[in-house]
Amino acid sequence: MLIIFIVIQFIQPVRNKSGQVLSTDFGKVYAVPGNVQAVLQNACYDCHSNNTMYPWYANIQPMAWVMARHIKNGKDKLNFSDFGSYTGRRQISKLKGIANQVKDDEMPISSYKLMHKNANLTTEEKSLIMDWMNKTADSLSTEN
Amino acid sequence: MKNIIIGFAIAATTLAACNNSNNDTANAKQTDIKNDTALATQQQVTKDTAGTQSTTATSEATFPVKEIITGYLQLKNALAKDNGQDAASAGNAIVATLAKVDMKGLSDVQMKSYMNIADDLKEHAEHIGANAGKIEHQREHFIMLSKDMADFVKTFGNGGQTLYKDFCPMANDGKGATWISEVKEIKNPYLGSKMPDCGSVKETIK
Ligand code: HEC
Ligand SMILES: [Cu+2]
Repeated sequence: MLIIFIVIQFIQPVRNKSGQVLSTDFGKVYAVPGNVQAVLQNACYDCHSNNTMYPWYANIQPMAWVMARHIKNGKDKLNFSDFGSYTGRRQISKLKGIANQVKDDEMPISSYKLMHKNANLTTEEKSLIMDWMNKTADSLSTEN
Repeated sequence: MKNIIIGFAIAATTLAACNNSNNDTANAKQTDIKNDTALATQQQVTKDTAGTQSTTATSEATFPVKEIITGYLQLKNALAKDNGQDAASAGNAIVATLAKVDMKGLSDVQMKSYMNIADDLKEHAEHIGANAGKIEHQREHFIMLSKDMADFVKTFGNGGQTLYKDFCPMANDGKGATWISEVKEIKNPYLGSKMPDCGSVKETIK
């Protein structure tokens, strides 16, 4: 067991860190209030953007693999860095999806919350996100 | 070191959890096969009744308007019966139908509209297919999928079948939600057996 543990330390996945904020970034596409953006950045961007803030355990296997997997699957479903490149219809879907996932306590993923205390959203933070997402989605829906 | 061991344990359980969900989709795929044949037979029966279509409709041979609508209606009926398993099969059937769509016969306007709608439609159908055990999550996706379907019918017609656009103000946590039905009678897909007759017909699509 220990030997396996040591050997796998040498196999590190590629890092998800572009260091850039694209013009398609969520914060550039919408006028996102600072407190909403702060929650998203804290609790969601690690898996749903092109820039992950890697924690200390990201150097330890198999944690790094689990993270890489979460990031890949998470970005497939929702990438805040690319948000502006989605069709209008898809943006509305995603805004509502975010509100739903937060409401149902599905996101952030529970194993992530164990390691990131400030990703444990308070009731206020949850309603802040849900209200803003739903309001924004509805304002888009009525436009067309 | 203690932290590392805890981390290791978490990683192991997370990995195990991921594998479980993979199994789920495998199961869903299996039921899918049955569903496909059911779809096909239904298709034949209804095809004969498909008379005059709206001018926007394209020929069924190249573009499966009817099949997409049928898949949606099966999904809607499964949710109305609180059956997440059947809903998942129907979701997967929609994904399969979309995957084999040939856009050759479409006009530019139709193609643009289709690509816009199908992109979103497919994602919702996939999630419904992958969440057989979470009917409330399936219903969340169904709200948005129904919006896509309403737009789809607007562009491509009703496939020769009278459809009804229904609305229930109590669905979606009291924010209200719409769906499309092939029968005039209300059978609510959002509340299921809790409140099967919530809603009313808002529009008839002939
Ligand atoms: C540890 C990584 C991680 C974090 C942190 C995280 N997510 Fe996710 N998210 C994922 C993964 C992985 C998926 C894909 C899950 C699946 O396929 O079922 C996902 C899927 C989603 C989806 C699509 C889900 C669906 O079923 O429709 C939404 C919306 C979402 N996340 C929103 C959020 C929001 C909002 C936050 C922050 C409050 C967040 N996520 C934090 C990893 C993460
Ligand atoms: Cu989903």
